[in-house]
Order: sequence, then structure tokens, then C-alpha cells
Amino acid sequence: MSLPWTEKYRPRRVAEVVGNEEAKKQFEEWMRSWEKGNPSTKAALLVGPPGTGKTSLVLAYASEHGYDVVEVNASDERSSEKLKAIVGESARQTTLGGTRKRIILLDEVDGIAGREAAGGIATLASIIKSTRTPIVMVANDPWSPRLAPLRESALMIKFNKLRQREIVSHLKRILESEGVRIDEGIVAEIARRSEGDMRSAINDAQILVSTGGAAESLLATLGLRDRQKTSFEVLAEIFGSTSAASGRASVQGSDMEIEDIITWVYDNILNQIHNPQAIADVFKLLADADLHYSRVKRLQRWELLRYVAPLLGAGPGVVKHMYGEKGVKFEFPSTIRFMQQTREQRALIQSALTKIAAKTKMSRTKAASEMLPFLAEMLRKGEKGVARYFELSDEEVKALIGLGGRQLSEGAPAARAAPTEGRTTRPRQTRGARRSP
Amino acid sequence: MALQETIPWIEKYRPRSLSEIINQEAIVNSLKTILSTHSVPHMLFTGPPGVGKTATAHAFASDLYGSRYIEDGHFLEINASDERGIDVIREKVKGFARTIPIGGIGFKILLLDEADQLTSDAQHAFRRVMEQFSATCRFILAANYANRIIEPIQSRCAVFRFKPIELEHMRKAVERIASKEGLEVTSRAVEALYEVTEGDLRRCINLLQTASTYSKKIDENLVFQVAGLAWGGEVRRLLELAAAGKIEDARKQLRLILYVNGASERDLIGQIYRDLFYLSIPEKKKLELISLLGEVDFRVSQGANPELQLMMFLANLYSASQAGK
Repeated sequence: MSLPWTEKYRPRRVAEVVGNEEAKKQFEEWMRSWEKGNPSTKAALLVGPPGTGKTSLVLAYASEHGYDVVEVNASDERSSEKLKAIVGESARQTTLGGTRKRIILLDEVDGIAGREAAGGIATLASIIKSTRTPIVMVANDPWSPRLAPLRESALMIKFNKLRQREIVSHLKRILESEGVRIDEGIVAEIARRSEGDMRSAINDAQILVSTGGAAESLLATLGLRDRQKTSFEVLAEIFGSTSAASGRASVQGSDMEIEDIITWVYDNILNQIHNPQAIADVFKLLADADLHYSRVKRLQRWELLRYVAPLLGAGPGVVKHMYGEKGVKFEFPSTIRFMQQTREQRALIQSALTKIAAKTKMSRTKAASEMLPFLAEMLRKGEKGVARYFELSDEEVKALIGLGGRQLSEGAPAARAAPTEGRTTRPRQTRGARRSP
Repeated sequence: MALQETIPWIEKYRPRSLSEIINQEAIVNSLKTILSTHSVPHMLFTGPPGVGKTATAHAFASDLYGSRYIEDGHFLEINASDERGIDVIREKVKGFARTIPIGGIGFKILLLDEADQLTSDAQHAFRRVMEQFSATCRFILAANYANRIIEPIQSRCAVFRFKPIELEHMRKAVERIASKEGLEVTSRAVEALYEVTEGDLRRCINLLQTASTYSKKIDENLVFQVAGLAWGGEVRRLLELAAAGKIEDARKQLRLILYVNGASERDLIGQIYRDLFYLSIPEKKKLELISLLGEVDFRVSQGANPELQLMMFLANLYSASQAGK
């Protein structure tokens, strides 16, 4: 086989990239902000299913506008050290040498897996902060919790599956340049089977042609690709499971990480199940799965992993079935949305805490529990002097005041009612958790 | 004119010398003896929060080196739970203890606060640091729990156990502040302060200052109400939402407490434990929930997911409160 068609016919200009017009526009705008020397964000995160033109768009833009692309495959460079060396280096060289413009392209960032994931992603996030070269990251699953820290510092550009007619017309153009004729029906069939994945469609077409026979029988042997199940499909299986065995199979047969499945299931329980006892039961099983999984991780006791799959995979479905619950729709994890919505507030509180901790010589955690509640209350009462003492900004003060406070006048609960006479008969508060045994 | 600062009272009324430390007479006497001989051992201060461990370490250093003990480089405080790992701590100690200040008394003092936040591996590493620098540096470790400090460290330290503040000592401390700040604090209010803070002087003073923003006359009702606002309120609301079956709102509240307020899950679990007793659910169910919370507490300490484990608890609280109806 000569040059793969996927390379041979890779677009050289942005206009040649098929489909996803909105994403193309966003990307070009983002690159323009770099050219003006005032990037809107330091990094862009292109997310979408395979074969939808994410990498092609970057390469096309680069060749059209005279950039060199430094490619790093994030899932190959296992260690965060390596990642840092490569990404850090080329970012620096640009600022010093600067003969030719560069784009750093990080492929498969959601593939940074396993024990080094946290370190790798964290390193990446810190590199992004200081980079003076545009960093483009490419990922498939936009909802991977592992990407959360990146999502906060990067412009997210979404790619959708390509339409069948977009694939058909592109295939036809390629076949024409190759001087090959294939039956229209077969081209349509290739496009249909690709499920919106241009790369696989082009590969299939090339195999068909290069093996000589543009025969339908050959098409049948190509078969459907073994596609990864989407998170929604896994979720539907889990909430539809009626036995320990089938639940276990759902978890074991999926490509999702256990943590991700836990997050997705956890965040969908309340959409699916409404009976109080059923909710309690299903959370109990899920919490047990989390317990077993935490032992696997913390103690590296991999043999205990087998207890996770049935609890996680069958618990929700079995309980749902038992109580005759008819949940309908699944949602993207609300955890992700919550963290995005509260991002600013969290950052302000953390920066306030850092100041408070420094002045009172406490740890931040301790300052959060010992100082914050009182400060928030004083600030709510208009005591601005403490804010000045801790050198808090107006925004930080606002964030502290916003900490779910209720004024006395709004009928907030007292620690307890004052006793009307003598000592209270209430059980004494013990501070068991805090006092030395 | 510069706008006026309000100094937090816990800073304003921080003891400047050992003679200002209250409630810990035995410890103060021992430390004064140590001062007079200048032969200072490594020390481990243990005891519940807000009883004066850190304050005593500072007061001791101030008495030993003079009031510029920090500026002159005799004393360094490191917070174990804020420093990222034992390597960072080791570097800090190294930088601090490498030299002896001229005109000093031959050694410096390093305070490691919240020392029980170090893992036992990190503590073993810290013990080696102590050995390495013991010629130029004395270490004071402060911790809530002695039994969370590894034995080899305990055996190298003089251990001082700080007592919870007694009511009469708290009364004196409150009266002193009240007279300087022009407050009128009733006797019952002091008892209320003592009850809700359980002998934690830091909380007591913070609470007093917060209450003073409402009124210069402080009675027991105000104390209880401000205490409810300041740290019970959020957790109480969490439990109320769950018990009322507003389970999605409860989840949101849980996330606010854990992720936005920045509270530690340990503090949250501790507060849930305290509030659990006052919920109106059948007592048998209450006992089951207490046991379940113990399980959650242990699991979280072993690395399980705090939000998920606590939601499990809240879901059970919901179903238990339904059962009572």
C-alpha cells in the first residue's frame, strides 16, 4: 500500500477540513488572538469523537499560516517529567530563538492514565499557565473527570461526528483524484458504517480499492469497528441490570475508568430513583463499591478489584428494578457543572484563606474551620475592619459573605435554645472526635 | 486618614509571655524552670484545640529570646498540614537551622504545628531531621493527639499535656476582654460560651467578637444564636434538607460545604455527629445512623470518597426520617 490516504489527503488549508464549521471558526479566532499577542486562553482543548478532524484542523491551520507543529503524544509520554521536558522546552525555545512560529499539539490528553494521571495533568496545567506558545490539546471524552483541571484553563472546542453526506462527498473527491470508480451504494455504506468517523471511512475505502475488488462481499468482511461504548450506554446498562452477573459484565466490558463510572452513576442516582429506601439502598451499595475501590488504590490490593464491578454495575439496576422505579433520562455528571459554576467563588475563598492562614499562622484547613465562619458572620454584620486587617479584596469579602449565611433576623437556628430554667436536660455535647483519647 | 483595621481578638489578646498563659499552671511552671537553666529539650505539646499549645510555644520563645524572637531569626513556625510533604519541611528546617544567630544562646527553636497531620513515614523522616539538627535547633511539636505521634519522636521529647480550659479560667479571660472592649457579658453567657466551645478558648474569643458585632450586651441567647450561625447553621441545614427528602438540595449543600467553604471532611463529620443527637427521628434509627456515621468516618479516613460516603449517610437519614412518619 502506498501512502495512506488519510495522510495523502490531509487538508492543507482550514477551508478543506470537512464539517464542524463552528469549531473551525472558534479555533481560528483563538489563534488570531495569539497572533495579536493577546491570547484569550493559553491553551485550547479540542474534544470530540475520533476521526472528526481535530488534529487535521490544527495541521491545516499550521500549514496555511506558516507554523511548525511540535507533536507530543500525551499517552505515550507516561511520566509527567518527560511531558514537562518536551512541552516546557519547546515553549521556551520559541520565546528565545523565535525563528519560526510554533504550535504545541498534545494528542490524547485523556489518555494520560493510571497512577501518573494526576501528576501529568497537574504538570500540564502549570505548563499551560506559563506557556508563550499556543498549546492545543486533543481528547475524545469531554466529560472525563481527569480533564477537569485542564478544562478550567483551556478554551474547550467541541467537535461532533461528521454527517454521512459530508463523508460521502469527501470520499468521492478522493476516489476521483485516485481515478477509481466505486459504486455509489458502496460509498454510502462505507460512510454509514463509519458512524461519523472520517478516518475510518477513508481507511476502509482505501482497503477496498487496494485489495483490487470494489466488491460488496469484501465490504462485509471489513465489519463494524468495535466501538467504545459511550458513557451513556454504560450507564443505561448499569441502571438496567437485573443481576449481579450482568452488572459485573457491564463494568468489566466498558472502557471507562472505575472512578468515572462511579461519578456517572453517583450523579445519576437521583434522576433514576425516588423511593427513599431505594435511594438509601443504592447509595449503600455504591458506597461499598467505593470502599472496596479505595482499598485497591490505597493498599495496591488489586485482587480486591473483583468486588467493585458487581456492586457498582448491578447495585443501581437491581435496586431500581426491585422498587419498580422508572427513571427516564441520564445526565452528564452534575459534579462537573458544579465545579465549573463555583470555580470563581472557590478561588476567592482559597485566596482569602491563604491570607488568613498566613496572618494567624494556621493551616488553611484549620483557618477554614476556625476563622472563616466567624469572619463571614462579622463581615455580614458590616464589620469591615477585619477585612482590612487580613487585607482581603472586595471580591474576597463578597465571596465570604456569600457563604450561605443567614442573619439572626432571618430566623437562623440557634446552636440550641437557651434553657428556660436551670441546666439543660439535653445530652452533653461531647467532642469525641477532637479530644485526645 | 487610613481606614481603621479591626484586629481579630485572638491576635489582639494573644499572650506575649508565659505569665499570661492561663489554665496550664503546671506546664508554665516547668517551662519557667527550663527557661532559667537555658537547657531546653525537644518538646511535644499535646491537647485539644484552642487550649494554648501554639501560644505557649510563642510565649516561651519570647521569654527566652526577647520580643523580637521572630524578626531576629531565633524562631520559625512551620505548619505540617500546609507544607507539601516532608521534603519541603526538611528543606525549610535545613535553611533555618544551618546557622546560629550571633548573640543568641546557641540554638534556635522550630515549632512544627499540627504535627499529627504528618503520616507516620513522614514522621520517621522528620525524626531523622531532628537528630541531624539537634546541635543547633530545638524542636517543639504541637499536636491534638499524642498517640498519633510515632513513639521514637515521643521518646525524644519532653511531653506536655495541655488541659481543656476550665470554666473559671474562661470566665477570667472573657472578663478581661470584656472590660477592655467595653462589653457587658452576663455570667450565664460565659457558661453558654463554655458549653458551646467545650473549653476551646480560640473559639470562645472568636464567638465573643462575633457576638459583639450584634450587641455590646451579651447574654446567653445571643451566644447560642451566634454559635448556631457561625458553625452549626450550615451543617444543620444540610441535615434538615436530607431529613425533609430534599435530597438534591442536600447534595448541593454538601458540595458547598466540602468544596466551597473549604471545610475539612473531618470537621464536617464531627459537626454532623454533634447535630445528630437533636434530630427528630426515632431513637433506634438515630443509633443506627450514629453507627453508620462511624463507618463513614473510618472509610473516609482510609481514602474513600468523602462526598459519596456522606451522601450515602444522608440518603439513609432521609429514609430513616420517612420511617418515623
